[in-house]
Amino acid sequence: MKNVLLALVLGTSLWAYGEGVLYWAPHGCDTGKAAAAAHGGHGKGESAMFAAMNLEGNATARLVLPDLSLRPLRFDRNTVMLPPPKMGGYYALVAESESPGNVRSAVRYLSLFGRPADVSPTRLTALPKTALEIIPDPLHREHDRYTGSKTYRFVAMFKGKPLTNVPLVLETRRSGAQTFTSGPDGAAEVTLPDDFANVTPGRGNKPSEFLLTLRHEEGGIRYVTTFSMPYSPNPNNHWQSQEWGAAAAALGFLGGLFLYRRSRKGGQNG
Amino acid sequence: MDKFLTVTALRRVVQLTAFFFFVYGATVFTTFYTDDKLTQALPALSCAYDMKSGDYCALIPLQHQMDHRVSTLFTGDSGIMQALMGTAITVATVALLILILNKAFCGWLCPLGFFQESVGMIGTKLGMKQLPSLSVETVNKIRPVKWFIFLFLVLIFPLLTGIGMLGHEWGSPFCSICPSRIMTTLAVGDMNQLYISQAGWGYTLLSLIADLLFGLMIALALFVRQPFCRICPILPMQTLFKKIGLLRLVKNGSSYCEGCSNCVKACPMDIYEIGNPAVNANITHTDCTLCGRCVEFCPHDGVMSFKYGPATILTSSKESFKKRSKIDKWWKG
Ligand code: SF4
Ligand code: SF4
Ligand code: SF4
Repeated sequence: MKNVLLALVLGTSLWAYGEGVLYWAPHGCDTGKAAAAAHGGHGKGESAMFAAMNLEGNATARLVLPDLSLRPLRFDRNTVMLPPPKMGGYYALVAESESPGNVRSAVRYLSLFGRPADVSPTRLTALPKTALEIIPDPLHREHDRYTGSKTYRFVAMFKGKPLTNVPLVLETRRSGAQTFTSGPDGAAEVTLPDDFANVTPGRGNKPSEFLLTLRHEEGGIRYVTTFSMPYSPNPNNHWQSQEWGAAAAALGFLGGLFLYRRSRKGGQNG
Repeated sequence: MDKFLTVTALRRVVQLTAFFFFVYGATVFTTFYTDDKLTQALPALSCAYDMKSGDYCALIPLQHQMDHRVSTLFTGDSGIMQALMGTAITVATVALLILILNKAFCGWLCPLGFFQESVGMIGTKLGMKQLPSLSVETVNKIRPVKWFIFLFLVLIFPLLTGIGMLGHEWGSPFCSICPSRIMTTLAVGDMNQLYISQAGWGYTLLSLIADLLFGLMIALALFVRQPFCRICPILPMQTLFKKIGLLRLVKNGSSYCEGCSNCVKACPMDIYEIGNPAVNANITHTDCTLCGRCVEFCPHDGVMSFKYGPATILTSSKESFKKRSKIDKWWKG
């Protein structure tokens, strides 16, 4: 019974993921993966093609490069193909669409290998990309990954000003919506769930996606923005034991003390 | 005040400042992003796993480059330029830093070096009997270990991993056992690096070695001077360029020295060769951390010196030896 209920809950949340909001998701087709492999700079198995989900209205897409220069992207239905990266570092993928009374936007970051641009990633995240924006503060380190059970800060920003006391809604493919409220500086501390099924020990686990949504209304216009990124299971919840780690360190320490005793008894040096 | 002004006192101030910069620097001076780090190729163990570090050591890029770039020379996945460019930049940065400060990165700036010395001070204050020096035989047995660690754990295993002959866990095996990874992350309140992995025998073995080594290093540091430094792969890496270092340890001593060996006793790395007579010779040894203790504890005028380019910046003298010995006696109680 419990399992049926769980399946039902999971089923509904799966269904509801990102409903009605514009957000970026990697497009796992072979063309996207082949392009990424040919471009270089992407991680193994990553795609150079991204899809803007729930796209409607007159939508535009652009890429902000690590040196903060802009590159317009062309939608092919709802997908865009990234150009070969000329430099390493963080890229921001931005989509915007407008319809009467509504402004919708989506931002996603990706980190590519290559010769770095001499511009701090903090400037890329701080650069205003859309009217309403969720700013990661900070993003995960280059080539690192968002990880379950870890807490990250995100700032809710509207036209360059932080929004205090507003809800940021977090969704994953497996967990229902959770709300985190921004504090006086506009920042919310968001803990990602470690909600992966069938985790195998080691690196073989595929990342899943999380989605943050922020809504704001001003001057009769409804703004909605999203931030979507992959996240991975936390090894310490699955195949790494911190208790055993501490025990091994304690054992090493005792070994050292044993050598101290031996040295005191006139044994050979350390 | 002048009573306490010694090289060691100055070194402690520099070490403490450097510790804050290298372990917590991202909170004030840089950011936690790789692109914002100072050099990304420091010849000392400031750690990339510490999200608050102001810079990080050269060994992590070296291991990654062996694994992902240099290996493509053998798999034929990319051109020579692409395969070697990153390593060339890292090595050139290290060479430049060594030119400026030589091995003083160890004695004056390394967070793990300072940590071990601090544990040693605690050991002394706890009344634990300090091992004065290791025997020549023991020193000679230990010395090659750091070269094996440098060759295999920093260069060869990562390269073989990139070629596909070893599993992924051997892609950065030195980082996997590095005590600075555990020490610096614990120092910033991150408990995630102390673990035993069950992802396969290689992972389990490396994580087990890391934790045992970390515990052992702390206990040993209570009574042996700088135990981990003796096998640290940073020393061989620095040695590749020590000839161009502007800062160096110079000895000009002959008959005075016979039977003295004060410098050898003072040397935390037990470099017995510095006791040999020498005429105005650069005696900066592979294991030397340029800590300056041998200069402080040499009782003869002008025998041991630190030179920077043509300039002598520190030299041994009867007077400073007396002062230093007095402080040492007071400290050891
Ligand atoms: S684990 Fe050690 S070798 Fe690796 S980056 Fe950290 S300090 Fe350097
Ligand atoms: S030898 Fe010691 S001081 Fe030098 S880098 Fe290694 S741990 Fe640090
Ligand atoms: S030789 Fe001198 S400067 Fe070098 S480690 Fe030994 S005491 Fe320090």
